Amino acid sequence: MLVSFKDSLKLIGISVISFCAVFVCTFFLNFYLDAKSLDGTLTDPNLIALYDAQMATAKFVCAVSGGFLGLIAFIMLVFYIKLYIDKNACNIGILKAMGYSERKIALKFSMFGLSVLPGTVLGFGCGFAIMPTVYDGLTIDGLPEIAISFYPSLLFLLVFLPSVVFSILSSLYAYIALRRPVSELMKGKSEKIKRIKPRKEKERSFLKEMFFKTLSDKKALAFFVAFACFCFSTMVQMGASMYDMSTALMGVIIFAIGVVLAVTTILMAATTLVNGNIKNISIMKAFGYSMKECALTVLGGYHIFAFIGFAVGSVYQYGLLTLMVNLIFKDVAGVPEYSFDVPIFFATLAAFIVFYEAVMLFFAYRIKNISVKEVMAET
Amino acid sequence: MIKAENISKSFKDGKVRVLKEVSLEIQKGEFVVITGASGSGKSTLMSVLSGLERADEGKVFYGEEEITLMTDKQLTEFRRRAVGFIFQQYYLLSHLSVDKNVKMGADLASNKDYLEIIEKVGLYEKLKSRPAELSGGEQQRVCIARALAKKPEVLFLDEPTGALDEATGRSVLEYIAKLQREQGFTMIMVTHNLNIADMADTVIKMNSGKIAEVYKNVAPKTAYEIGW
Repeated sequence: MLVSFKDSLKLIGISVISFCAVFVCTFFLNFYLDAKSLDGTLTDPNLIALYDAQMATAKFVCAVSGGFLGLIAFIMLVFYIKLYIDKNACNIGILKAMGYSERKIALKFSMFGLSVLPGTVLGFGCGFAIMPTVYDGLTIDGLPEIAISFYPSLLFLLVFLPSVVFSILSSLYAYIALRRPVSELMKGKSEKIKRIKPRKEKERSFLKEMFFKTLSDKKALAFFVAFACFCFSTMVQMGASMYDMSTALMGVIIFAIGVVLAVTTILMAATTLVNGNIKNISIMKAFGYSMKECALTVLGGYHIFAFIGFAVGSVYQYGLLTLMVNLIFKDVAGVPEYSFDVPIFFATLAAFIVFYEAVMLFFAYRIKNISVKEVMAET
Repeated sequence: MIKAENISKSFKDGKVRVLKEVSLEIQKGEFVVITGASGSGKSTLMSVLSGLERADEGKVFYGEEEITLMTDKQLTEFRRRAVGFIFQQYYLLSHLSVDKNVKMGADLASNKDYLEIIEKVGLYEKLKSRPAELSGGEQQRVCIARALAKKPEVLFLDEPTGALDEATGRSVLEYIAKLQREQGFTMIMVTHNLNIADMADTVIKMNSGKIAEVYKNVAPKTAYEIGW
């Protein structure tokens, strides 16, 4: 009824983000717990400094990637639930009219929270599979070899707990979002209509009006576009820098995670945008607006956020690496000095422009293929 | 003049033949009603005539211009220039106010007088309302204003009163018919309501994808004279 397992499968973006978060946390936390056994056994001050720095790095990376990606996954989940309720407001209204309580309907939304489970399971599995190679790279010369152990508590913490927490949060959010009058829901109004206040406004062309309205109505998507580009910028530049500063493997992992996160998030945002505007696009096409005008109106407003995301990502990765080098590794001898890598920045910028424009071109093509008649026949 | 020659159209990989070699002629400034039972092909005929869909076979001419030969880009340009639509389900842009919805049509024709059209359809007081705040009749009037603001040569209407009650339906129909007489554009309306056919200059009856009957009304009735 209403929310099926199939619906939760659409939340692949959340699965991918949870995969990335758990993948990184698994080997860093496992390494941290395994290496903790060396506490108090080291005597060489240089080795102690390096060991402390490595332990701090493990904690730092887990907190940053786990916390940040977990928060993004949650925001994405809330966003999906809202979209789902918007789309199915009429059906939900019918259920409420028939006597189903908000609590009972909201409980069905716990299924959405389970979308993190495939990601966490796979992330944990892959993290464990790659662990011997990571341990080789992380183990400092002079330290005794660190054996890989399995921690059931880690399995619970990284795999099952997020699924349970996300399921509860999904139901709670849905419960709050469903508290609307039945009549409004049945008319397809999932949220209160904001009355447009009479004010002096600029006389704008329809296309400009549509451009700004689409942007202001889908603010959350601006965040996701910026986030996607932030991930691309941060992780690709950081991955390239890490290649010189740390192990090649870590560089490749960070680079790959950045690209996966960026692709997933931006595809999710653009798909939502195009699907959410499909009726508007089809009526514009029927009236004779060109594919270019439709694409520019719907997608064009997000360019600025993409470049803001990229710029913030560049600054962020610079700050993060500077912090790590100057703070965590400050007592460690032989750590190369870090400065902003201009060639890497421009190479990443070029790759980013190609990546972003390719995604936009793909969705412009999708807009071109929207069949006016089919969309109208569906409604 | 609109001329269709032997138009055929199928769906589901040719398994369902919706239009079977349909030919017709519509004169400039004429009010034509296409009627028929559900599944008779009337809506598909309207889609093909208006350039919303392509025919599998046959030709459609607007004067000397053959729209069936046009590329997608040319067809978009043709719709932009020549046709307007009024749909049963309104298809208003829900996040834009009444004036902005009408501006959608007006901008295509560089029409600066769109506020006058909104006034004419009696919605000036609701200029800043969103579609969800309007009644069905009001929403349909926004559709009319949007279509007319585009200054179309041909106006296509798909069951324009299908979602309206009798009183609102009659007033909407009367209003459209009056505008058509005043402005002289060609109007092609698809409806299953046979009573509305009494308002038209020409009636085309469809049955199983073919034209079953074409006749002209000697004295077309007003919206308040027809049955409902």
